[in-house]
Amino acid sequence: MIWKRQIPILIVAFIGALTLFGWFVEEPNIKAFVDDDATQWYDILASFAIILGAMNLMKMQIQKVARQKKGWPYSIVAIFGFLFAITAGFFIKGVDDSVAVWGAHVTTEGTLFKWIFDYMFTPLSATMFSLLAFFVASASYRAFRIRNFEASLLLVAGIIIMVGRVPIGSLISSWVIMYIIVLALGIGVNTWKKDKKITFGVVGVGIIIVTVAGMMTGWPLDKPAIFYLPIIQEWIYYYPNVAGTRAIMIGVGLGIFATSIRYILGIEKSYIGE
Amino acid sequence: MKALEDLILKIGKVDRRWIFLVLAIAVFIPIIKPIGMPIRATETTKVVFNTIENLPENSKVLVSIEYSPSTKPENHPMTISILRHLFRNNHKVFVTCLWPDGQFMAQDALKQVAEEEFGKVYGEDYVFLGFRPGNEAVIKGIVSNIRKLYTVDVYQTKIDEIPLMDGIKNFKDFAFLFSCSAGYPGTVEWVQYAADPTGVPMSSGVTSIQVNEVMPYVQSGQMKGVLAGMPGAAEYEALMGQKGFATSGMDAQSIAHLVIVLFIILGNAAFFIERKRSRKY
Amino acid sequence: MSMTVILGAWIAVFLTFGIFSYLYKDNPFYKTAEHLFVGISAGYWASIFFWTQIQPNLFGRLWPSSEFSAESLWYKIYNGLSFLSTSVFPPGGIDKGHDMHLSYLIPFALGIMMLLSLIPKLNWFARWGIAYTVGMAAGLRAYGYLNSNVLGQIKGTAASFTDPNMPFFSLTSVSTFNSLVILVGTITGLLYFYFSKEHKGVLGKASKVGIYFLMISFGASFGFAVMGRISLLIGRFVDLIKYSAGDYNNATLWVLVIMLIILGYDAFKSRKTPPVNEEAV
Repeated sequence: MIWKRQIPILIVAFIGALTLFGWFVEEPNIKAFVDDDATQWYDILASFAIILGAMNLMKMQIQKVARQKKGWPYSIVAIFGFLFAITAGFFIKGVDDSVAVWGAHVTTEGTLFKWIFDYMFTPLSATMFSLLAFFVASASYRAFRIRNFEASLLLVAGIIIMVGRVPIGSLISSWVIMYIIVLALGIGVNTWKKDKKITFGVVGVGIIIVTVAGMMTGWPLDKPAIFYLPIIQEWIYYYPNVAGTRAIMIGVGLGIFATSIRYILGIEKSYIGE
Repeated sequence: MKALEDLILKIGKVDRRWIFLVLAIAVFIPIIKPIGMPIRATETTKVVFNTIENLPENSKVLVSIEYSPSTKPENHPMTISILRHLFRNNHKVFVTCLWPDGQFMAQDALKQVAEEEFGKVYGEDYVFLGFRPGNEAVIKGIVSNIRKLYTVDVYQTKIDEIPLMDGIKNFKDFAFLFSCSAGYPGTVEWVQYAADPTGVPMSSGVTSIQVNEVMPYVQSGQMKGVLAGMPGAAEYEALMGQKGFATSGMDAQSIAHLVIVLFIILGNAAFFIERKRSRKY
Repeated sequence: MSMTVILGAWIAVFLTFGIFSYLYKDNPFYKTAEHLFVGISAGYWASIFFWTQIQPNLFGRLWPSSEFSAESLWYKIYNGLSFLSTSVFPPGGIDKGHDMHLSYLIPFALGIMMLLSLIPKLNWFARWGIAYTVGMAAGLRAYGYLNSNVLGQIKGTAASFTDPNMPFFSLTSVSTFNSLVILVGTITGLLYFYFSKEHKGVLGKASKVGIYFLMISFGASFGFAVMGRISLLIGRFVDLIKYSAGDYNNATLWVLVIMLIILGYDAFKSRKTPPVNEEAV
């Protein structure tokens, strides 16, 4: 029991405390260990963890084939892919030592490993990520609804960023935005007063003011700057957006600090399944 | 009016596969038939540009590549433009990677810019240190003793045999850091474990999804500006006066965004019409 | 164009369309591509991490070529391993510029214990290695997040209201109004997450203001997320267009046509044949 529970907790406490206090200690031997060797050991163990993950994955796929579970032929494809990549990584370089020695072959042009990276790994991973573009569009269309003021704030901020950040945003005149604001004001007044005359009055007056102002100034594309999309977008992105994100960041930072201390003090033991 | 409302309601219930097709066409057409919309650089991009432009001559700059082919359209143009800027101003470039696939991305970029465009000499003008696993532990290793972490470069040549590595012991020996990042580990870790503790200035190019995460660092001055996604890369290309992949993608990006905004407006219009009708009954 | 490049292009196009075919519906093309991705990723990452870390930094420190001695027992063990694989254990020791550090037997032992945890009875073996990485990560993160994400951000939020040179209002540069927006937004945003007191009265109003700032952040995040995804889609389309050229034997067009025919035929067949459970009813 001591091997399975107490020793891992002791390791976390000792190494965690050593790493944390290593930031503040100037003793050369401790600093050298914490900054150099301890870091290298971490890297080595991280590598073993990745290899363990890969082997575990293959173990599951082999079990699926052996037990002929649903979808087992596809597991053969997964095993084939794994063996192909391992062959390229450890057995067949595809070039001789003058082009790339073992070790450098994982990064050198012309090797079988690089071929797998260029024509199999890259298209697969890039396409998996880009698939989400379609789902974002579909989700925006079907689920993004203005149900309350907060949702409308979210939507308006999102639309301003999306349109203002790309070149087309700089082609939209600030006068178009002013007309849109007048129309939105009209919708708001109609919802509040529910009187068509007042609504038409407000909208009419708004349109006249904007049109007269535009005619007097010659309809400049980016003035008044407060209604020019790229400028509005930049202000939202740099000030109110940062304020909200910063609040979340500080909260998360305090949470992570607290959780790290819990791990070091042995209160949190999720890594041993408790 | 009722016919229009019925049409909007009908569109609101359409199979999502039609939405996928419309989006695919909206992205595809501007790629094959570019429009050539002008690109306006934002403040955060200009800060990155000016910071690099104002670096003293022959500065030693660390460029860290942490993205994979999956985010190549966003990050790779940034890497290319930054390397062009650094080599144009004759700075010495040291390239590391915190992601394994970042090594391939860095290799492609260095081949294109350092070798083919500028004819720079490996070992004298730039060094490619390569990838090391360990996430933030790697950054800590670079900050404390880079020579212990990197005993050989990516081509398995010993560091001691590379002329440009003379005098480089740790992170403080660099004048500037640029991190081209797509997630963890990346920009955030460089700020936390390298730039903040040592005071070495840094900038970053990040994917659009990561932008909001790093904006507080930019606003507080912990980072000198940021290149935000493909638009940020396109803005940097415009500032460099050299159009690249990012610029060519901006037309498609603009049209796709307009289409999605249209979808959102249509979806909400259908929602309001449905709500109005259900209230009537 | 060489045969390997053309073959590679055809495989890349097939895999790309295989993944995209999921947009129509789940089908064997997608499942094949997905499982291939799983297998290749596992093999790729295992190879990369082994060759960039374990072989040079672990084995290179246990059996460095600088201290090779054919008579020593330690190197006799190495010669035995070299007999099994000369690529991993080249004759004469591993030359990566390291000195011998037998203390690295500790991470080696922990690593072997991690791998042995694949045997069900020994699965607790992994706990020691995991404990080391957890402890190290906890120690690193506690400092990093407190310094950069808490203290650094508080410093960034601090505003000067007595600077006579600062304008009151400016859209694009620092101003009193903008500093006030950040100060109020950050504090009210934080107050929203304060759950030790009921959100009533002043606290209630302040947290309501905080929600508004948070909603603006989420909206901006949504906008950037859309931007990022569209950028990646543009990248894929550009590659598909490249592979449709004659140099690659029009790979894109052929693969697209063949897949459309097969999926179309399957859709036609499934319309003609009613589903089994409908017949049972």
